[in-house]
Amino acid sequence: MARFRLLADEHQARSPLRQLWREFARQHSAVAGLALFSAFFVLAIIAPLLTPHAPYLQNDNLLLLPPSWSELGLVQYPFGTDDLGRDMFSRFLVGTRYTFGIAVITVLGALIAGLLLGTLAGMSRGVKSSVFNHILDLALTIPSLLLAIIIVAILGPGLLNTIWAIMLALLPQFVHGVRNAIAEQLNQDYVIAYRLDGANNLQVFRRIILPNIWERLTVTATMALSTAILDIAALGFLGLGAQAPTAEWGAIIADSLDLIYVAPIGVALPGLLIFLAVLSVNLVGDGLRTAVKKRREN
Amino acid sequence: MTLYLLRRLFLLAFVLLALSLLAFSLAYMFPGDMLQNLTGLRYIAPEQVAVLTAEYRLDQGYLAQYIAYLQRILSGNWGLSFASQQPLLQEIGLLLPATLELAAYALLISFFAGIPLGIIAAVKPEGVISKGISALAITGYSMPVFWWALLLIMLFSLGLGWLPTAGRIGVLYEVKHVTGFMLMDILLSDSAHRNDALLNALRHMLLPTLVLATYPTTVMIRFTKDSMLEVWEQSYIKTARAKGLNRLQVLYRHGLRNALLPVIRQIGLQFSTLITLAMITEVIFSWPGIGRWLIDSIYQRNYPAIQAGLLVISTLVISVNMLTEILHTLFNPLARKR
Repeated sequence: MARFRLLADEHQARSPLRQLWREFARQHSAVAGLALFSAFFVLAIIAPLLTPHAPYLQNDNLLLLPPSWSELGLVQYPFGTDDLGRDMFSRFLVGTRYTFGIAVITVLGALIAGLLLGTLAGMSRGVKSSVFNHILDLALTIPSLLLAIIIVAILGPGLLNTIWAIMLALLPQFVHGVRNAIAEQLNQDYVIAYRLDGANNLQVFRRIILPNIWERLTVTATMALSTAILDIAALGFLGLGAQAPTAEWGAIIADSLDLIYVAPIGVALPGLLIFLAVLSVNLVGDGLRTAVKKRREN
Repeated sequence: MTLYLLRRLFLLAFVLLALSLLAFSLAYMFPGDMLQNLTGLRYIAPEQVAVLTAEYRLDQGYLAQYIAYLQRILSGNWGLSFASQQPLLQEIGLLLPATLELAAYALLISFFAGIPLGIIAAVKPEGVISKGISALAITGYSMPVFWWALLLIMLFSLGLGWLPTAGRIGVLYEVKHVTGFMLMDILLSDSAHRNDALLNALRHMLLPTLVLATYPTTVMIRFTKDSMLEVWEQSYIKTARAKGLNRLQVLYRHGLRNALLPVIRQIGLQFSTLITLAMITEVIFSWPGIGRWLIDSIYQRNYPAIQAGLLVISTLVISVNMLTEILHTLFNPLARKR
């Protein structure tokens, strides 16, 4: 491929975002993943409006109702009820908010904190940045579940406390990513040219660094999101995260585990939902990664 | 290279020091009485308090306490477990090999299944086989490990009845603890039922290892494939082809050697995730390893155990990280220069 072109062709004249979308839309699996991801996202926002029954309302007359496709089931309760007479379908819907929605918030928090710390580390030099790096390396080596165990031991179990643990576990990869990307950008000629024009650090960061690293950040964020969903569900399942009545998918599985012979759907479906949520995130992440690579090659 | 090794060792020492500081400060942050958290004694008689305070140097400043803590750690006096009132170090010594065994077999499976599959997937990236392998990889990568374990138990243990659901070996067999690695211990023992015991242990091991191996295998497939595709584009591959080497020769002499370098590094980076997954797997399969012990410790508010677990597991992960990094540098002359 020629290195320089005098006339930009139509494809190159598009904005980077549109080029990215073009490459992304070519991959069917990625688009399917995006559709699924959007569905989960919308569900996480409007789930309380869609639930046919209150997810925490216990109905003594309808304990362990089978799903509606069995002969004993009721059509009002599509997936039946659990051992306390709560509607499964409503609980699954609301669970989207906990497992998926909170994972998104956690990743956003880690992203913002990582961007701040990574920028500080990337822009500073010398001993300060070296010490900072080693502390990060330490944080990177503590397994996320162990970190969660320690935080739960100090603060007690609960969804909010485990969120801190997961955020802390996700943080190093963001800081590392941002720091490396910034170090790479600062060596570019256009940064020096911009500095010679009199730009200060803040301007360099806003006008040059940020537009150049957001693609990579998005890819890191999707990878982190899949980890966050899996961690929240696993901690809920172990009883360290979301506590019993909360309709978090992992906690629902733990609740229904002793009824697995009577009502296998309570274990099967939330697991499937977790799997689908993570799958959609991974498909989007893979698609984005490929699209970014192809766009840069063009 | 020597300088590089020295620098790595210095870094290792620094990270371990920071880790010990973290573990030390936990005793102050955990709820409950600090002296109990430090010693692991559930009941301390009033006349004992003064003796122990002097021994743990709690009457002196934080620095003196920290030094005392380091001395205790180095001399092997890690305190007692709240739950069993046994010395922690001894308890960990019994549990850690079980976790290591599980993780080691899972890693081995991921090597022998993941790398070849990744290479096959990279041969024709747009072909049906490659697409199939990639689909399989992303499925395995997205699977919540506890659900996957439950599904396999439902199918193979409860449904078909082929494999046991929990434990490391049947209760009928008594294997003496020598190395802590079940298979090795069985081979070392001279019982008449050695072969039966071995078969039994393997049957117990199959499901947990499979469940744990799923994640590293898929990571291995993805990384081998990506790195293989990248290497295949390089000009030295073209040169090798132009010289007249056939595909297999190029693959072995030039492709694999370069493509597997980032994969080595990935093992170190993924090791901490592997340990997290091992802990969950142990809980589900009642595998008597350190992960299940730690999660039990949190239910029992067993703070000394959590502190010791942090120290051991993090040291393990840090060492593996460091080892893979050094191996990577050893195999890759380009990385040595930096």
